Amino acid sequence: MRTLLLAAIVIGLSTLSAAAQSAPTGSIEKGRATFLKVGCAQCHGREAQGSPTTGPRLGPGAMPWAGFSRYVRTPRQQMPPYTDRVLSDADLADIYAFVQSRPKPATPPLLRP
Amino acid sequence: MRQAAAVGAAMAATPGSAVAQAPGPAAAPATAADAEPEALTGGRAGSDFMVDTIKALGFEYICANPGSSFRGLHESVINYGNNSKPELITCMHEESAVAIAHGYFKIEGKPLAVMAHGTVGLQHASMAIYNAWCDRVPVYLLLGNTLDATMRAPGVEWVHSVQDAAALVRDFTKWDDTPMSLAHFGESAMRAYKVAMTPPYGPVVLIADSELQERPIAEHAAPRVPQLTLAAPPQAEAGAVAEVAKLLVAAENPVLIADRLARTPAGLARFVELAELLQAAVISAQPNVLPPTAAGRMNFPNQHPLNQTLRSVAATAEADVVVGLEIANFYGATNIMRDQLERTTRPGTRAGAKLVTISATDLTSKSNYQDFQRYAEVDLALAGDGEATLPALIEAVRRLITPARRGAFDARGKRLADASAAALARTRSDAGYAWDASPISTARLAAELWDKIRREDWSLVNGNLSGWPQRLWTFDKYHQYIGVSGGSGIGYGAPAAIGAALANKKYGRLSVNIQNDGDLMYAPGVLWTAAHHQIPLLTVVHNNRAYHEETMHLQRMGNRRNRGVDRAHIGNEIDNPAIDYSKFAQSMGWYGEGPVANPNDLGPALARAIAAVKKGQPALVDVVTQAR
Repeated sequence: MRTLLLAAIVIGLSTLSAAAQSAPTGSIEKGRATFLKVGCAQCHGREAQGSPTTGPRLGPGAMPWAGFSRYVRTPRQQMPPYTDRVLSDADLADIYAFVQSRPKPATPPLLRP
Repeated sequence: MRQAAAVGAAMAATPGSAVAQAPGPAAAPATAADAEPEALTGGRAGSDFMVDTIKALGFEYICANPGSSFRGLHESVINYGNNSKPELITCMHEESAVAIAHGYFKIEGKPLAVMAHGTVGLQHASMAIYNAWCDRVPVYLLLGNTLDATMRAPGVEWVHSVQDAAALVRDFTKWDDTPMSLAHFGESAMRAYKVAMTPPYGPVVLIADSELQERPIAEHAAPRVPQLTLAAPPQAEAGAVAEVAKLLVAAENPVLIADRLARTPAGLARFVELAELLQAAVISAQPNVLPPTAAGRMNFPNQHPLNQTLRSVAATAEADVVVGLEIANFYGATNIMRDQLERTTRPGTRAGAKLVTISATDLTSKSNYQDFQRYAEVDLALAGDGEATLPALIEAVRRLITPARRGAFDARGKRLADASAAALARTRSDAGYAWDASPISTARLAAELWDKIRREDWSLVNGNLSGWPQRLWTFDKYHQYIGVSGGSGIGYGAPAAIGAALANKKYGRLSVNIQNDGDLMYAPGVLWTAAHHQIPLLTVVHNNRAYHEETMHLQRMGNRRNRGVDRAHIGNEIDNPAIDYSKFAQSMGWYGEGPVANPNDLGPALARAIAAVKKGQPALVDVVTQAR
């Protein structure tokens, strides 16, 4: 059995404001449902928090829309591609709205050095 | 003594035979010979000598699911041997028996013996034997068989007999034999142990023929238990070691990658000494995974400033010399492959980087099973045991270091310390995301568990949890981590954890098992074994209710074929109904908590479970987690 794990997605970083300027409007709630339905959560976590061995954190503010959408359609690393046949542009915009809306947490006491 | 003419009488007492099922009065003996009372063994039986031999080898335990082909040996272990050194561990599956031995070895450094049928038992055991083979772990298998066809009772004894029992596992064991006399058994028993314990370690098989087991030993012909002398582990050739030292001392960015390097606590200490002497980057790599998440052994402290495992891809790309020490998958550690329809690979190292391997696996090769991984093109390949070679390599390096190189090393060490500290800070920050989510995040579970064990003498005996323990905990002792299965054969986790906990018991350590749900369900009867033998162990179920690795593979296939992933859960989920692992464990004598889905309930549940473990009871906490 192959045991290849999904490695880190390498996408250029940008600011949240720059991302917001160019991203289409999406529904956070619909995006959450689609994020679960099409399997994003399997590697990136249900809150898009990422996992060290399968997929990086996707939000908040991790990447601009242009890079995000291009990577989902034509990934260059280990992620499987999502064409518009299995994930519409509108669904992708909803997903982007969802991952961008994830709250940045305060450092929990258990994680303080 | 069993004789052909007396087989009919023996059959009458053979459970499962046709004769035993016949009504008593109608089953009258057919001949006068059948009516004679069974001859009793007045002195020692052959299996008593086998127990003398086993005791001489120093086995602490012997694991078995009972089987008639080794009934003589079983009886000798518990009566003649007084069920002490070895003590019999009752197992509910032969795969569990071997995996218990696997886990035990990686704590204790000594093998356990396992008894099994040479046929059906070995078939059950074979997956676990393959794991041990791939993980370079010695397991000592004693298989019952009846080679002499005229001595077999009709029926079950025939289907439980085989011409060449060890053939089934010969591709992934180091050595086997079928002794034809007790003296032969004694010599082969010593040889098997010696072979198993000469690096690279591996499982061995010894057939205990039922005739040899059950016939009495003639007073004048009692064989002697031979002396055992283990072989010194093979060290790599001195000239080649000097060449490696030259490369390392001259390098600007040397990287040391270790997988199954440290066989003992001393191996860990020597590896730290080498890395610190050179101020070299260290990567502790899990086979098949890049970036790595854990090592095959506890080779190096995870929070040591020179440990660059969290940035392994960058560290490997920067290297001008890469030395792989007992790394099974050196090709995978130095190349990056993309899983797509037309698979592509690109080097993970820069052009011109010198590549070196030091491994005892070059001394033992087999061809059928492909655990040797893809051929790695290297500049130097040293055939020798990594741990045994470290002292010579350290001395060779020490002799070559000049004050100027020392200055360069110190500057490199500072750069590496800054890089590993930054990587650690990033990963701690990442762990805080989804902190309050339900199902519980794997990072939260790792952090809550660490909070409860960090002040104990703990030992992580199974579990990866997406690599979070290696990021959030502090590993610096050899017994704190025992690596992975080797063959990636699911079903290893629970029994190996119990075997390791069995070894940890006498040291009073808190054994911790982060248990994948799918793995647990392969042979869950092993939970009963832990309760029956009062093996203290904290098991935390990483319950994502799926064979999740396969879910991701299905997603890849669905998207590659442009069919979507909506059905990727079919055949992979372990849900509807969800298994209640807490009740399941309680039914087999464990303390049970859960299912815990609220992250705020997790800490108290773990605390209660640890309190139970400290009283000597195995305890399980079922935690409903995110997938990864």
